Amino acid sequence: MSAYPPVKTVAEFLDQPAEYQDAVRKIVRSHALNELYGAQVFDEPAIALAPTPYAKWLTCRVAMEEYHHHVRFKELADQIGVAPEALDPRHKRPLNIFEFPLKTWEEFCVIKMLGDLAEILQVEDLLHCSFVPLRNIARTTMPEEKFHAQFGADFCVDLVEAPESRARVQDAINRFYPEAPKFFGASGSKNNELYRKYGIKLRKNEEMRADYIARAKDIVGKLELKLPEIAVAA
Amino acid sequence: MRLDSPEAWFCTLGEPLGQAEAADIAAYLAALGLAPRLPTLVVASWSQAAEIARTPAERWWNAEEAERARLERAVRLDPADREWLALTDTLHGAAAVAAARSGCADQGLIRAAAGAATYAAHQYRLARAAGAGDEHPFVRKYALFSGGRWPLGVYGDRFAIF
Repeated sequence: MSAYPPVKTVAEFLDQPAEYQDAVRKIVRSHALNELYGAQVFDEPAIALAPTPYAKWLTCRVAMEEYHHHVRFKELADQIGVAPEALDPRHKRPLNIFEFPLKTWEEFCVIKMLGDLAEILQVEDLLHCSFVPLRNIARTTMPEEKFHAQFGADFCVDLVEAPESRARVQDAINRFYPEAPKFFGASGSKNNELYRKYGIKLRKNEEMRADYIARAKDIVGKLELKLPEIAVAA
Repeated sequence: MRLDSPEAWFCTLGEPLGQAEAADIAAYLAALGLAPRLPTLVVASWSQAAEIARTPAERWWNAEEAERARLERAVRLDPADREWLALTDTLHGAAAVAAARSGCADQGLIRAAAGAATYAAHQYRLARAAGAGDEHPFVRKYALFSGGRWPLGVYGDRFAIF
């Protein structure tokens, strides 16, 4: 539980120290930007890659939910004074994880299984955020993020039944996963220290990354596949 | 774009086909360049709809996609538009209510139904924005959805509709 008192409204937010406001703006901006970019470069293009109408329609719904996540964060960003260009992928560079060149259905399923798992951890850390409007968005978003990760895992379960697609899933894991732990930021991050000081986030980047790696290993292990060895900064 | 009667979506699933619906199906298939007199399979249950939709249907899907691509050369719509996203949530709600009435609690299948309706609504607004009339295949398909059906597409030599 956060030691910082709850900031219940945008009006109260504007009375907080500048350091608090800047910290919240960074997080809201990051979520708004990356939810939009992820929907644009992964979810929407994946409709064409899906092998059946069922998979295509389900992917379409998932894409709409991802766009909706962007809109929720963007509306809050607008209210707390984030500059519009900071929310536009044409002006602000999204995370490296989105540079993965999506070309196959197997890759998309791995992205949902392991990429959305990373997003789940980020959202989990906001469930008790001191800024209540951000906390509420996290709580609204969480069930859909969980569904998206499960969607990826469920399709991977189907894909690993055939040797050819099983090899393609392992290959996609080998190429996507090494970038995923970077999603959590640098160890010993000054930004993260501020987030915890103000009760915006709960955990250190390195703690979240270790948790992510453990959960990813468990999920991939259930498919009887392996995560590639990677060097992780202490 | 607004839905005139959102409560009507998914409300006639599995019912016998009416003449107007059969006419919409024939016109839809003909306008897509597919055989208009394909036998029609009226799907009886959510589980049967899932089973059918989990099989490939590339010829039909590609025919729709070719038309969508043609329309998008002239019109580009914002998928992150707030009102549009609210509409897609309404369609998700309609699918969930219809599924619950039939005892279906499969969240993936409900989302697939919502996604199908969303895709049809997107195709419809693209067609209308490009100035298409009532004979356009996406307008015909939208009429089936808004009348309570879930057109599943062409599988082999049959058109399937729930």
